[in-house]
Amino acid sequence: MSSLELMLLAATVIPLGSFLLLALAGARLGKPLAGWVATAAIAASCVLSGLVVVRWQGMDAAARAAARSAPVPWTVLGDVPLEVGVNLDGLTVAVFFMVTFVSTWIHVFSIGYMAGHSDEIDGRSKFHRFFAFLSLFCFSMLGLVIADSLVLTFVFWELVGLCSYLLIGFYFHKPSASAAAIKAFVVNRVGDMGFILGLGMVFWFLGDLSLAGAARRFAEACGDPGSALRQAGPLGLDMATWLGLLLFCGAVGKSAQFPLHVWLPDAMEGPTPVSALIHAATMVAAGVYLVARIFVLLTPQALLVVAGAGCITLTLGALVAVVQTDIKKVLAYSTISQLGYMMLGMGVGAWIGALFHLLTHAFFKALMFLGSGQVIEGCHHEQDIRRMGGLWRRMPVTCATFLIGVLAIAGAGIPGTSVGLGGFFSKDEILAVAYSRVYGDGTHGARPHGSAAPAAGPWAMTETGHRSALTHAVPGVEHAQASAPLPALLFWVPVIVAYITPFYMMRCWWLTFMGRPRDDHVHAHARESALMVVPLVVLAAGTLVCGLVLFRPLVAEVAPAGLLAPTVDGHELHEVHHALMPIVGGAFVVGFAVAIALYARGLSLAAAIARRLRPLHRLLEHKFYFDELYGLVLVGGTHLLKGLCDLFDRIVVDGIVDALSASTVRLARFSGRDLDERVVDGAVNGVGRTTWELGGAAGSLQTGRIRLYILLAAGGVTAMVWLALAAGG
Amino acid sequence: MEHGNLLNLLIFLPAVGAVLCLIVPGTRTVKVVATATTALVMLLSLGLFRHFAWWGRGDGWQEAVFGGTYGERLYEVTRLDWIRLDGTTIQYFVGIDGLSFPLVILTTLITFLACLASWNIESWKVGRGVRGYFALFLLLETGMIGVFCALDFFLFYVFWEVMLLPMYFLIGVWGGPRREYAAIKFFLYTLAGSVLMLVVLLAFHFYSPVRTFDLIEMAVNDRIAAVFNAETTSFLGWKFATAMFVFLFIGFAIKIPVFPFHTWLPDAHVEAPTPISMILAGILLKMGAYGLLRISYPILPAAAEHFAYALAVLGVINILYGALCAMAQTDFKRLVAYSSISHMGYVLLGIAIMTAAGLQGAMFQVIAHGISSPMCFFLVGVLYDRAHHREIDRFGGLWLSMPVYGSLATLGFFASLGLPGLCGFIGEFWVLVATFSAPFAWARPMAVLAAVGVVLTAGYILWMLQRVYLGPARPEYESFPEVTGREVFILTPMAVLAVALGILPQQTLFNFMNGTLEQICELYGDGVSMMASVAGMCLGR
Repeated sequence: MSSLELMLLAATVIPLGSFLLLALAGARLGKPLAGWVATAAIAASCVLSGLVVVRWQGMDAAARAAARSAPVPWTVLGDVPLEVGVNLDGLTVAVFFMVTFVSTWIHVFSIGYMAGHSDEIDGRSKFHRFFAFLSLFCFSMLGLVIADSLVLTFVFWELVGLCSYLLIGFYFHKPSASAAAIKAFVVNRVGDMGFILGLGMVFWFLGDLSLAGAARRFAEACGDPGSALRQAGPLGLDMATWLGLLLFCGAVGKSAQFPLHVWLPDAMEGPTPVSALIHAATMVAAGVYLVARIFVLLTPQALLVVAGAGCITLTLGALVAVVQTDIKKVLAYSTISQLGYMMLGMGVGAWIGALFHLLTHAFFKALMFLGSGQVIEGCHHEQDIRRMGGLWRRMPVTCATFLIGVLAIAGAGIPGTSVGLGGFFSKDEILAVAYSRVYGDGTHGARPHGSAAPAAGPWAMTETGHRSALTHAVPGVEHAQASAPLPALLFWVPVIVAYITPFYMMRCWWLTFMGRPRDDHVHAHARESALMVVPLVVLAAGTLVCGLVLFRPLVAEVAPAGLLAPTVDGHELHEVHHALMPIVGGAFVVGFAVAIALYARGLSLAAAIARRLRPLHRLLEHKFYFDELYGLVLVGGTHLLKGLCDLFDRIVVDGIVDALSASTVRLARFSGRDLDERVVDGAVNGVGRTTWELGGAAGSLQTGRIRLYILLAAGGVTAMVWLALAAGG
Repeated sequence: MEHGNLLNLLIFLPAVGAVLCLIVPGTRTVKVVATATTALVMLLSLGLFRHFAWWGRGDGWQEAVFGGTYGERLYEVTRLDWIRLDGTTIQYFVGIDGLSFPLVILTTLITFLACLASWNIESWKVGRGVRGYFALFLLLETGMIGVFCALDFFLFYVFWEVMLLPMYFLIGVWGGPRREYAAIKFFLYTLAGSVLMLVVLLAFHFYSPVRTFDLIEMAVNDRIAAVFNAETTSFLGWKFATAMFVFLFIGFAIKIPVFPFHTWLPDAHVEAPTPISMILAGILLKMGAYGLLRISYPILPAAAEHFAYALAVLGVINILYGALCAMAQTDFKRLVAYSSISHMGYVLLGIAIMTAAGLQGAMFQVIAHGISSPMCFFLVGVLYDRAHHREIDRFGGLWLSMPVYGSLATLGFFASLGLPGLCGFIGEFWVLVATFSAPFAWARPMAVLAAVGVVLTAGYILWMLQRVYLGPARPEYESFPEVTGREVFILTPMAVLAVALGILPQQTLFNFMNGTLEQICELYGDGVSMMASVAGMCLGR
């Protein structure tokens, strides 16, 4: 193992050590020491991964390739060896650093957040348990990032799900919290069901569950026209497409994509730092990360589905966010919407843009969630933005840093220049690629990228670059859809939503911090905690600078060859970006202006409009009735089935058994007077009575008789041995 | 074949202990004798590891440990003539290979832990003797180890019966309020299975061209195989192999238990005392799967293939039906019992698809369930000892009043749920993936249905956890004492194994058994692979 791999491995394992320590001795460490232990662990991981980033930056392509060592065997499935190793590349390094960095500051924030009574469950402090779970989460998440095989990915995939379950349900004395935890886990399991079946397909068709091996064999199989992968499967899609789609199911669950998005808003029942870490910055982005990793296994049709799911999700999330009044719910729906953007990006081939957006989003969304945590904790657990207002006076730093987050998510920047915040580059890059896939002639950025790229995926570009980028690399294999332009909706819908995003974010910020205080009680007690302010400032600084300068090149370096937009300054992309400026460049201004105009004088104007648009408002307030629908059809259906099975078990199966035994007894009644009398004596009709009679034999046994029986049995066994030995001797 | 006496010791030491239990003075001494016996048996069984050690043997260890073909390498073999009939000799033939070795270890371990779990027998308020209980308990261990070690069909049958009676009494005498009903149900069901097995035993003997009860020989002797699997061999108008397979299957299906022969299990579990439930779930259920792999599949591979679809359907029904029934239960122990039915469905499915990956998954699930389900039953028992009821809806907030217990319970039930990193995952995952890639056209839809079980399992286990352990603390349970040292001592080995098996499946289990499983696969491998190529399903590789 190379030293870089060892460092990443160590950085992954350190939080596990912290978890074990806190699980076994956390109560003794107490408050706040237990929190500092966990923080120190993740900070150590962060330092290590920072060192990895620095060293990685200083290496050339050859050295980077050499730093990767062969995986070690873990176990064998059938006759297929499963191996595990560290997936050392630029994407891993970038995401790893993001996770450890954001985690560290969220840990610090958490100590402040939990300093009051927020760590209490039913009046009992569970401070150490919170940090134990956080450490376990960090371990699982980092493991997920470095996993180099699909099985290992799945293992950590489920572990982060477990941590999510435990932390959403941290306040488990609240029925709403434990219900939300179950919902999260079960909905994710629905996606994972597809994931497992996808792994089954990979095993069946490719016979290699490592990421690199599967990609290689997939390319080979797709190149062979007679390959089973190219056979038609259900719904007119070929097997290769199904393979990708089943794996994608997992991502749909974890990244809260339509139609499995319903768990994420409920997950806000968890403590706010958890929402920031798991349900905004890291775990929910894992679905996008997975798609990035299996990108080479996705056929054009599969990618179209990915893009479609993303497009629906980003619209849905944004529309619902507009009417939310709980500050965390606004952020939750905005997270869903942003995850939709990332998925859309993956689907249209903006691999780099999507991951770039993942990284910038992690910073600004964690920042805003922590800001909301500060507000909630400061306002004694008031979460309704309608009761806030004017908090900027009480919480100036929170207000300012939150605004930076709002600007970033809105994609604020100065058109025509390179001055802007995270979303300005990352979201626009996704839109630019979508545009060129819809309207372009397919030449944009169609250029293989540098030598550090891994083996070309099966959908690599053609050599000349004249055709669309996503044409199959293997001659003679043409997917008609590959070069066909995408539906225009995949560009226009996200553009329209790009106007809605700044609106609802500004609405949230304005209602919280600006205007006149609407609730004196909330306002009077609001205060900022020093320990919680520091992470806000750090993450705000990160939002301002980190995204562009550090992450994009790291990610770009591992992009599968032949993707659009290989480099940030690739001038075709740049041109598209410029061309888009009139369309989306001013979106944030428009959105902000509308929001301020609506809410500058409080809630009355918006309420009047809501009354006017009653049906629409209702629909949004009820989140398009997904919960109601699923509750009725899926949950209700399961309960119905369960009841039917139970009835069947008790009445039919047991009924037959009892009837059989009863009729046996009835038969026996005629056979002997003795028995006959006894049954008549106890004559009560019905099965229960009859079986009691049957059991009477056992009931009437005295201990003495049992002793006799045992003696006989044991004696018999001993005699058997003796006989055996005698016969053998 | 390596001779040795260790198995004889393992089998008969508990019987000696049982006799001792009846004659030593004082109930405490009885407990000490019983515990010492089970502990000694467990420690002795560890000696078996020297035969299966994959470490320190270099690259050729697999060949050295398992040999080339099925039955070639058996360890600790004792082979003596026992009963002479005209032309036949019933043998006392015991030995172990990779199939039985993990089960023997599991048996000695779980029996030891269950024995410890029996220490509070006085508090069960059944008013029955301690002496009889422990004596029967030890006799049961003799039967169980005997079943896993016997390689002569007749001997197998004898041990099968030896195990049946103590179980009947342990449930019927030391059980709960409806113990008679449960015990008689258990007894009748199992007896029905035994009768069918007896028919097969005799039929094998009379149809075989070589008069033998030797299970290994019946599997590897071509002359026997030719007669048994021939189309023309008929039994009461049925095709011989088909009839025998069905009879054996019903016998074993009752033990596993397979729908619709499963209803004895929830009743038996609910009424049985905690330690007996641990043994029932941890070991007795496994004998069904073991029987299929030791007798049905090696000897009657053609029939197994013929019934593959039916068995797989039953396996999937078990998974889904068991999970749905578990969801409907209000009694904590009944829920765990139905979850056993669901989990054993994966075992049946893995066996049914007749591939190496499927067998590995099935056997892993057997052992994993043998660890997680006793743990779950003991966790229920811990609660029952304190609350004296098991109604799920009356509990709540127990993670608050008993934090250590709550954490261990979370671990145990997540192991049962099949969370990666814990033992339940590997078996489930292997079986699902293997089913998906099995060489049968119906395997894909079957895998999809079985995968639904993954969601249902999460549903009923989390819902149960929510109702029992989460929620606000209830005043009536505030005073419950935290788990005692004895209870933690019992739970810890299972918890550690649950984690170890989940993280290092190869080192902890696969290396000990895969060699033999492959040999069993080879016994029927030709037929299946031929069929696969006909169906054009052998793809990709």
